Amino acid sequence: MNHTPTAATASNGADFNPQQAAALLDQTTAYARRQFEPNPPWLLVTRAGLALDAYGALWLSVRGQHPYAHPTAAVIPVGVGVGVANVIATMTLAKRASAGISGRRRLRPAEIAIMAAVWSAVFVAIWPMAVAGVSDRIVYGLYPATAPLIIAGLAWAAIMAARADWRACGSGLAAAAVGAAAWLAGPAGAWAVIGIGVAVLLLVHAAEVSLRHRA
Amino acid sequence: MTTAVTSEELDPLIHVPTRLKIVATLAALPDGDTLSFTRLQNMIGLTPGNLIIHLRKLEEAGYLARAKTTNGTTQTTTVALTARGRTALAAYRRALRDLLGEL
Repeated sequence: MNHTPTAATASNGADFNPQQAAALLDQTTAYARRQFEPNPPWLLVTRAGLALDAYGALWLSVRGQHPYAHPTAAVIPVGVGVGVANVIATMTLAKRASAGISGRRRLRPAEIAIMAAVWSAVFVAIWPMAVAGVSDRIVYGLYPATAPLIIAGLAWAAIMAARADWRACGSGLAAAAVGAAAWLAGPAGAWAVIGIGVAVLLLVHAAEVSLRHRA
Repeated sequence: MTTAVTSEELDPLIHVPTRLKIVATLAALPDGDTLSFTRLQNMIGLTPGNLIIHLRKLEEAGYLARAKTTNGTTQTTTVALTARGRTALAAYRRALRDLLGEL
């Protein structure tokens, strides 16, 4: 069982001096913020490293292809594995952080359904594109590298804007901007731009969370 | 000397270690969110009886709101800091800062 810090443990205010109160207030606030945080800095930094590894591996597998074909079969499980691990870690920590909390902070079922539908649609759309004969540059390069960030980022930004959560809205827009920038880098370069862009976004987010917890 | 200044300047409802922990914990939630009694109890480390006594005092002062929701056969008690409670904590924080600056 986790408990708040006990720097000062006087049972009433009589023996409780201002220094003890200030220390207890700071410690309790920091502890509560950590407990309620669904995206702890360590997780964000870990994700940044994993994003660099996974997208870096994808980029290494395609950078020498002329003309562009697709990432090699050996690398695809790495990307899928990192993606699945990321989703599981995110959901587990979010569930733990939000246990017992109700109100605006929790995503509503409709919002979860929208994001799940958007994510699914982004990847499912690859199949009909391939069947329709869209070029490999798009189907196996630009689209899978950039569309998840652009489409899911914009969907997230819209949901957060409806909640007036401007910080989270900004994160969605930043992700979409990274996706759009990566599109300009071409099918091979897009993987590298996404890897670096996502890692930078996650590190900035980690720094912001750390600063917010210390404020 | 310190005790005399404390009793004059600091809100006596908040200036008790347990209640300070309760208020600081609830203030870490965004405005409008509520916390279940069970999770608060786990975080503060009090028995249910002790926690209820402190919550009642804060509630009587208008610093805290309690609500009971029923989901099937399960009843959940949730607590949240009111706007008045947030204002009181901000004032308490300012008073502490002033006091420590003077000491």
